[in-house]
Amino acid sequence: METAVRMTGVRKVFGRTVAVADLDLEVPRGGLYGFIGPNGAGKTTTIRMIMSILFPDAGEVRVLGRGSALDAKDRIGYLPEERGLYKRMKVRPFLRYAARLKGAGGAGLDRRIAAALERVGLGGVESKRCDELSKGMAQKVQFVAATLHAPDLLILDEPFSGLDPVSMRMLRGLVIEEHRRGATILLSTHVMPQAEEICQHVVMVHEGRKVLDAGLDEVRGRHDPRAIRFEPLDPRADTAGLAAVAGVERVRPDERGLEILLRAGTDPAAAMLRILEAAPAARIELARPRLEDVFVELVAGSAAGRADGLRAALREAPA
Amino acid sequence: MTRVLHVALRDFLATAATRGFLFGLLGMPLLLGLAAIVLPRIFDDAFRDGAYRIEGQYAVIDPTGAVLPEMRAALAPEAVARRRRAEFRGRLDEAPAPLRGLAEAASAQALEEALGPAPDVRLTALAADADVEAAKGWLHEEADGPRRTALIVVHEHAVAPTGPGGPLGAYDLYVAPGLDDRDVAFLHRHVRDAIVGARVAARSLDRAEIDALLRVPRPPAATVGPDGERPLQASLRFNAFLPLVFMGLLLMGIMTGGQIMLTSTIEEKSTRVVEVLLSAVSPMELMAGKLLGAVAASLLLMAVYIGLGVAALASFSMFGLLDPLLIVHLLIFFLLGFFVIGSLMLAVGAAVNDMTEAQSLQMPLMLVVMIPWFIWPAISRDPNSALAVTVSHLPPVNTFGMVMRMASSQPPPWWEVWLSIGTGLASVAAAVWVAAKVFRIGLLMHGKPPNLRTLLRWVRAA
Repeated sequence: METAVRMTGVRKVFGRTVAVADLDLEVPRGGLYGFIGPNGAGKTTTIRMIMSILFPDAGEVRVLGRGSALDAKDRIGYLPEERGLYKRMKVRPFLRYAARLKGAGGAGLDRRIAAALERVGLGGVESKRCDELSKGMAQKVQFVAATLHAPDLLILDEPFSGLDPVSMRMLRGLVIEEHRRGATILLSTHVMPQAEEICQHVVMVHEGRKVLDAGLDEVRGRHDPRAIRFEPLDPRADTAGLAAVAGVERVRPDERGLEILLRAGTDPAAAMLRILEAAPAARIELARPRLEDVFVELVAGSAAGRADGLRAALREAPA
Repeated sequence: MTRVLHVALRDFLATAATRGFLFGLLGMPLLLGLAAIVLPRIFDDAFRDGAYRIEGQYAVIDPTGAVLPEMRAALAPEAVARRRRAEFRGRLDEAPAPLRGLAEAASAQALEEALGPAPDVRLTALAADADVEAAKGWLHEEADGPRRTALIVVHEHAVAPTGPGGPLGAYDLYVAPGLDDRDVAFLHRHVRDAIVGARVAARSLDRAEIDALLRVPRPPAATVGPDGERPLQASLRFNAFLPLVFMGLLLMGIMTGGQIMLTSTIEEKSTRVVEVLLSAVSPMELMAGKLLGAVAASLLLMAVYIGLGVAALASFSMFGLLDPLLIVHLLIFFLLGFFVIGSLMLAVGAAVNDMTEAQSLQMPLMLVVMIPWFIWPAISRDPNSALAVTVSHLPPVNTFGMVMRMASSQPPPWWEVWLSIGTGLASVAAAVWVAAKVFRIGLLMHGKPPNLRTLLRWVRAA
């Protein structure tokens, strides 16, 4: 498959800190990739190297078939982690400037700007100064700046940070829309549920190293814990008998009910029917492995204390 | 290249389309013009408290009997008016031609108004043998009439010596407290004139003839060179002034551009816009665009000031004193100086997080730029001294030094000018090379500002 981004043996060191260690990454054209890992994992450094803002100490980076993003900047949209706008500049001139720098000037630019702002729910803000915008509005303006030139590759570094749930949902929709248009998306985040909701493929990094590179379905299949989450209809019901249901290996309480672990080779659908016969349920579902669990399992192993720390880092939204 | 121009255009507009810049651009010349009109009026007697008039009552003890009549004659209204006109004419003869023309076209009444009100002085003769100590009391006695302002005591031998070959006397002057210095000067001048008049008369000489004999009008000297003739007086003043003006223009242009780049880079870095920019342009393109934008703003500023200067010279028919090639060289040296100082200012802007940090890092640069201010009098006085020659070939101050020398009355030979341009070009290449490295790394660095060692490491590492 044709690749949008290919990194081979890429390494970046700052002083004594290895920010990225021998990273191989391949993002196919049209892919929707999540680049995930906790803060300080090397995501932003990797993205900056993809953008040719930083250059690797070793290894090779190819972007959209070119030896450097510098040769393909007009075809790349980038929403950096550190967002910024010219405070005293008005929104329309800023977007004009951003578009022209990406070679997307020309006739009808103002019309395209107005339409793009309308699309993100910011119709009528063209004449506002950037320092009059709220954080969410500023973020949307930056998204418009990153996509106004209809890029082939869209790189989003922590795009949802600092957004309220409504804006987050809107931005998620816009990212999916860009993907449907045909853009390759590389989305970096340390909040894994966000990646889980949107991405087809995830690349996990930890301490500068890649620890996972797989499709989301593959990840879920590979890390299937054969578990069922069960919440009894009557909270006071006796559920001790569930352990005796055929195919059940173990029953243990979890936050909202019980976690029922099946024996290897047991058909989950049949097992669920048997469980329902044994005890009426308010909720019963297959426990899909969360990316967070997969990540923790990959990097923390059985060290419980470390696993808790990692979980906290992966859930915590940035300030 | 298009991206560079887009960056340049944004930076230019972000600077030139602000109130602050427009005020600096138009406001300063306007203020200077206003100052040129208003300040003389503020300091001029005629516009301070209405017209300042010398007036009062003088008491005179004149044992010679010859000085007082001379004073009376000199202070008669028609004599005062005649003398004032003659003095005005004398001053006018030394003024530039356009001013002379204006004065000659003005009416007699307008000239009288320009001269201010005539003095109104009354003389009171005291007895020739009056006691001086007692007469001093006259100054502060309550009395009607004009204020008593001076007691003049003429020496006994002020007009004729005590004996053949003996010394001549003079006068003593006592004035009322708080008397204006202009009254005192007026008194001295007229008492001296009256004594001289009495001495001349005592010797049966003709005062008018003596005055005529003493009067030798000073003709305007002219410098004659291969390129023609120039009035010496005007060109001397002009040549003394021109190096300072040119250096000031150079400094203003360079520092304005440097500050523009410093502040805009710090703003882009602190607001994190820089990463958005770097996703579209390379650091070198960004730097080139910023340099071009700032140079355009500085050139606009200089064009306005040079244009106003040229217009002022032309309106006084003095444009012939200025060699147009000097302006061309000013622009060449401006560009050289701008790209050296400007690129280093860009590097400073990229290396720091805010203006406070920038101040300490740009201090050495500012000190270097200020060197020409300290040495301009020496260069202006002797443009070919060892100091002047050294400074005009030593980057980054060579641009200032050479411009000052070229604007002086003894410009350097052409080979020196070209050598200095060559040195300037080499220093531009070196400064841009160093600045580009610091700029590229510094832009994405946040936190503790770099020290000199870190900066050197960046230069070596990039």
